[in-house]
Amino acid sequence: MQTIEFKQLDETLYYEKLSNGLSVYILPKKGFSKTYVTFTTKYGSVDRTFKPIDGNEMITVPDGIAHFLEHKMFEKEHGDVFQQFSEYGASANAFTTFARTAYLFSSTDNVLKNTETLLNFVQEPYFTEKTVNKEKGIIGQEIQMYNDQPDYRVYFGTIENMFHNHPVKIDIAGTEESIDKITAEHLYTCYNTFYHPSNMVLFVVGAVNPDEMIGFIKDNQSKKEFKEAPEIERHLEDEPKEVAHKTREMKMDVQKPKVYVGLKAKESNLSGDEMLKHELSVQIGLECLFGRASDFYTNVYESGLIDESYAYDFSLEQGFGFALIGTDSADPDKFAELVLEQVNKVEKEDVFKAEAIERIKRKKIGFFLRALNSIEFIANQFTRYKFNDMNLFDAVPVIEKLTVDDIKEAFGTILGESQQTVFKVMPMNERK
Amino acid sequence: MFSTIEIAKGVSLHIRQSTQFKTVNFSIKWRKPLTVKDAAERSVLSNVMQHSNGKFKKSAEFRSYLDDLYGTVMYFDASKRANDHTVVLNVETVNDQYLADNKVLDDVIDLIQTAIFNPNFENDQFVSSIVEREKEMVIQRIQSIFDDKTRYAHQRLTQIIRPNHPASISANGSIDEVKNITPESLTKAYHSMINEDKIDIYVLGDVDEKAIQEKLVNALTFKDREPIPYPDYPESKAEKEYTNEKQDMNQGKLHMGYSTPVKFGDDDYPKMQIFNGVFGGYAHSKIFMNVRERESLAYYASSSYSSHYGLVYVVSGIEPANEKKAIDVIEEQLDAMKNGEISDLEMNQTKAMLGNQLKEALDSARGQIDIFDQYKDLGEEFSIDTWKERWKNVTKEDLQEMASQLKLEAVYFLSGKESGQDANN
Repeated sequence: MQTIEFKQLDETLYYEKLSNGLSVYILPKKGFSKTYVTFTTKYGSVDRTFKPIDGNEMITVPDGIAHFLEHKMFEKEHGDVFQQFSEYGASANAFTTFARTAYLFSSTDNVLKNTETLLNFVQEPYFTEKTVNKEKGIIGQEIQMYNDQPDYRVYFGTIENMFHNHPVKIDIAGTEESIDKITAEHLYTCYNTFYHPSNMVLFVVGAVNPDEMIGFIKDNQSKKEFKEAPEIERHLEDEPKEVAHKTREMKMDVQKPKVYVGLKAKESNLSGDEMLKHELSVQIGLECLFGRASDFYTNVYESGLIDESYAYDFSLEQGFGFALIGTDSADPDKFAELVLEQVNKVEKEDVFKAEAIERIKRKKIGFFLRALNSIEFIANQFTRYKFNDMNLFDAVPVIEKLTVDDIKEAFGTILGESQQTVFKVMPMNERK
Repeated sequence: MFSTIEIAKGVSLHIRQSTQFKTVNFSIKWRKPLTVKDAAERSVLSNVMQHSNGKFKKSAEFRSYLDDLYGTVMYFDASKRANDHTVVLNVETVNDQYLADNKVLDDVIDLIQTAIFNPNFENDQFVSSIVEREKEMVIQRIQSIFDDKTRYAHQRLTQIIRPNHPASISANGSIDEVKNITPESLTKAYHSMINEDKIDIYVLGDVDEKAIQEKLVNALTFKDREPIPYPDYPESKAEKEYTNEKQDMNQGKLHMGYSTPVKFGDDDYPKMQIFNGVFGGYAHSKIFMNVRERESLAYYASSSYSSHYGLVYVVSGIEPANEKKAIDVIEEQLDAMKNGEISDLEMNQTKAMLGNQLKEALDSARGQIDIFDQYKDLGEEFSIDTWKERWKNVTKEDLQEMASQLKLEAVYFLSGKESGQDANN
């Protein structure tokens, strides 16, 4: 087992790659009573066209299958896995994102027992036509729940506006029609292709003894057999750089319009230190333009164009990236116009002032130091960073070194009129 | 856990030194009996105090200064618990020792003092333009509940099951009461909060207990105060047994409200905690296992115990046509518990989960403060072992008794305008 020290942060990370290819990371945290374990595969909703482990031809599977598979992992021949976790006092959960699927639990006692449950249930698939069909009603209701959430619709509508072909524009849960096509055989194909240990990371953080834990994990893994796994081949259609739709809207039963401005990234083929630096730079640039200390914020706040729902964010994964700035607003068009005006200033004026950038860097460093109190944050973020060959604990030193030029350069990748889109959710005309 | 001293009559300071966190956390809580008018005023007040103060008169200046203090988080918030309205000032700052700069903590304490005692006044009153803007923010916060159908349905159920009662009074008051606020009335509410509220001050982090106590006693010069009597809340009961409302939406939101005579702090309180866990509190519970896993009726289906008001809420998102079936399945689960159909496994799972939840909550600074703050009202030293012992003693017969005392008072169903038909779009 290797150890990696982060002196400034007073943390030691333990790492070992097992013979079956599984990467295991263990981070002991003093003073905590709980342990949080995540078991994550680099497989998400965007992985819809790929070469299956036993096949030679590319196949395209029904939309929403990664999420469907996540649901179905919990059901076994002899019942529901939640039952076992509950018996040993563990809160278990799972989630599917665009790029990964994570299974996790936290518990204060019986950590080894719960780790065993986690490893075993994720590595022992059990799918039948009957259980698959039963799940369609449950996931159908999950899809309906999201369909009724205007905040979700405006977020997703903006993403749909931005992308022509990239599957990030497809809802993670799919649609009621697409999930209806899913069969047990599909699930096995996806499972066998993407749940090989070499495509997965196990991360353990909290009240844990690293030597005892790694011994336990190795023992568990050595009892299981896995085929040699070839490199996974995924296929993505070419995605034009510019947005697909400039502006669209939909109507819902809401009291106030909701609006998002999306800025599609021209550059998303990054990984490692380069990606870390790029991502942090764009985030700092966004904060400088749209943060609560900005002139923009003061203006839209004082003119009543925003409320407490106002937010902005930058997301980047291998193959796609975008910034979003949005709010509920009585005048969504005016808000969008001012956002774009502010964005376009970057090309004409010197908006990233050294003093403001230094202040925001300090804020960002403070954010990471606070976040390291949260073992949930560490576990979830660490794995995301890892899958992109970045290291979460490098964030603070990287921020310290960022310059105004770094921020200008990175921000340039989301500039340009062709990258800009607006999506609105408008109230229905007839109100009760 | 925390060591407590009274720094003025009605003002307590609770400090806990701990190396567990990389930050220092402060939480200052002002409490007053809950009424709609006070809730509205104090909600706007917390927004106005969050916006600016006498030293940083523009919001952007205030935010910039917080950024400079390594992104110190500082916010005022309004909430309620039982019959109290609470304004809280939460502050979290990085621990100096992880930085080259070691003056941050003193600067933060100065800023807390400024934010509380040096408001942004013009002619001894809050600035009218800021008050008007923040009134609008709070009004929009209240209105935005309509757009979140689950929260809206929950709010409607509480209004129906306990009208004009703390259980249904919002921590933000009401739109009408917010509209009535003037800079003058808000300034009055400010002085009343600072000088008359019951106050609890919490500090948690790797701090020198004596030194921080001295600094805070000097910085936070609150005067003595007397307890404020509670108003006579009228007896409140459900105004309607069944309500169906329509909006343009796909899913049906089923919200059921039950009452129980058992409240937080009663002898039977631990029994009700276990009851709720078995009924619908967890993924192993009867409601989850039957509504979702057996019948595939829903993605979410659960119960929650609102212990301060003696209410149990059951919520589920379903296909509108399945309304009756879902209600029947939920009621069957309660009947099963009344009949004693409760397994050892369900009991053990629930006890394990409750213990784990409480221990986990103590792993966050905010969790430690909130748990200590809530349980101190019981007048005993809080310990996890005490609660584990209480849960251990709960039997199936106890749960049968709890189930028998539960009374379904109101069902609220929010669904699409063409209920039961295909509403895809």
